Amino acid sequence: MSELEQDRREIASVLQQPGARPDPSLKITRRTFIHRSCLVGAATVAETFAWWPLLNTLDIANAADAPFKFAWISDTHLYPKSLNTRFVEKTVRAVKEVQAMTPPADFLIFGGDLAQLGTVEELELGVELLKEVKIRKVYIPGEHDWYLDMGKKWGELFGQANWTFDHKGVRFVGLDTISRAPDYWSMKKMSPKERMDHMSVLDGTVAGPWAGVGRDQLDWLQKTLSNWDRGKPVIIFSHNPLYEYYPPWNFWVRDWRDVNEVLKPYTKVTNIHGHVHQVLYNEIGTMRSIGMLATSWPWPYAPEGVPKLTRPMIRVDPGDPYDGVGWSPWSVSAQDKVDTEYVMWGRKEVFAQSVEDSFANIPEILRPRIADNMYPY
Amino acid sequence: MTARKRFLVALAGASALSVLATVAVLVGPASAHKDPVTAQQLKAYQDALMEEVRKGDLLFHGDDAIAKQMGVKLTATGMACAMCHPMTADTHPHTFPKFQAQMAKFATLRDMINWCIEKPNQGEKIESDSDAMKALEAYIYWSNTGSVLIPGRY
Repeated sequence: MSELEQDRREIASVLQQPGARPDPSLKITRRTFIHRSCLVGAATVAETFAWWPLLNTLDIANAADAPFKFAWISDTHLYPKSLNTRFVEKTVRAVKEVQAMTPPADFLIFGGDLAQLGTVEELELGVELLKEVKIRKVYIPGEHDWYLDMGKKWGELFGQANWTFDHKGVRFVGLDTISRAPDYWSMKKMSPKERMDHMSVLDGTVAGPWAGVGRDQLDWLQKTLSNWDRGKPVIIFSHNPLYEYYPPWNFWVRDWRDVNEVLKPYTKVTNIHGHVHQVLYNEIGTMRSIGMLATSWPWPYAPEGVPKLTRPMIRVDPGDPYDGVGWSPWSVSAQDKVDTEYVMWGRKEVFAQSVEDSFANIPEILRPRIADNMYPY
Repeated sequence: MTARKRFLVALAGASALSVLATVAVLVGPASAHKDPVTAQQLKAYQDALMEEVRKGDLLFHGDDAIAKQMGVKLTATGMACAMCHPMTADTHPHTFPKFQAQMAKFATLRDMINWCIEKPNQGEKIESDSDAMKALEAYIYWSNTGSVLIPGRY
C-alpha cells in the first residue's frame, strides 16, 4: 500500500466516522442562470448577464441576520503585462463581473496567487486591477505571492495574512496556509528567484510539503473560535484545501489532523479554498470544503485522491483561454443559507454530463518529475 | 587558424569520435541481440533514455537555458507545458494516435505537442523528428509509465 493510500485510509477512519457529516442544512443545491441575456434580449443587459453562464448553488441554512452576498476571486497568477495579457484580461473580466453583481456583494475575498512569480510589478498590477472593485476587499496569500521576498511586499500591500471578522451572523476566518514551508533554500544557498522558481512549479519536488497551518496559527484559530456558538456558521478561507487530496501538488495542508481537532466541535464549518483551479467538493467530519476555479488556467484532477463527493467538472478546451476558469459569487440568505455559484466562462454546464466529457475521464499513472533534483533520480 | 589550434580542434574531433565509437561498440546495432545483453549495456540504454527524459522534463517545465541550447522557442506567454500538465497529467500519451477534436484530424502525440506549443503557449512549432520533440516525447511517455495503452480514447 502506498503512503498516499495509507493516509487516505487514515482520513477515512479518523475523520469520516459513521454519522459524522456537516450539518444537514449545509447541503448543495444547484441553481442555474443560463443566459439570462437571451431571455431579456437587450444588448446592455446581455453585456451584464452574459457573464453568468451557469451558477451552482450551495446552501447553508440557519443564518441569523440579513441576507448578503460576497464574491471569491483567486489564482490570477499575473505576469507583467508585457509578457502575458491573457491573465490580465481574465482578471479584468472577473473584477467587472464582481462589481456588476446585483445586489452587490458586501465584500470580495481574494484567495491567493495574485502574482505568478511574486514580483513587485506583478503584485502592484494586481492591486491596480482590483481597484475596479469598489466594495470591501480582504486577502489571503498564495505561495506565488510569497517566496520571492518571503511575503514582504504582500504584507505591505495587504497587511496581516490571517484574520477574522463577524459579518451578519457568520464568523469569517482567513488562514495563511502557505508561509510555513520547510527551509529548502538556505542549505543550497538559493537566490530569492531560485527559491521562488522552485515554489512556483506545482509538481516541483524541491519545495516539498510546504502547505500547512502551523501550530501557532492553529492556537490562534482555536482562540478565535472559542467565543463563537458551536452551532453558528463559520466560513474559513484558505489557499489550500484543509484536508489531504494530493500532497505531491500540495493539494492539502500537512497538519490537517490538527485542523480537524480544532474545528471538530463546530457543526457548520465551510472551507472555501483556491490553489486547485478546479471544481472540488469534500466533507471531512463536520466540515465541508469547496474548491474554487482560477481565473488563469485550470488544473487537471490529480491522478488519484479526488474526493468521492466531487462531481467532476467538464473537460476543458485548451484552445479557449476562457474555458475552465472563472470565479464565484456567494450569497447568504436570511435563513442562513449560503449559496455558491461557479461562474465558468462560456459554459452552460460546469459539471460533466457524461463520462466522456469529464475532466477525470482517462485513467493515468504518473511519475513525479526528476530534472529539478540531483542525479540519481 | 594556427597550427596549434588546428591540432586541438582535430584532437577534440578525434576524441569525440572515439567516445561515439565506444558507445557504438557498446550499444550499437552491429552486435544487437546477438549476444546476451550485459548489465553495462542495460545501464547505457537506460542512461540514454534518462538523459532524454531529463531534457524533456526541463523543456516541459519552461527552462529557458535548455530551450535556448536546443534552439527552440516553446512559449511566448510565460506559460510552460507543466502549468496545465503537472507531472504530465492530462497529456494522455497512451491514448494516441487518435482523432483529436481541436485539430479536427487523426493525430499523433507529436501533433498534439505542436498544437499546444502553437496555440496555448503561442510558441514556435518544432520539427516532428527534432531532438526537442524526442526529448518531450521521452519525458511524457516516461512519466506515464504504467498508464495502460488505450489508443483512440476520447
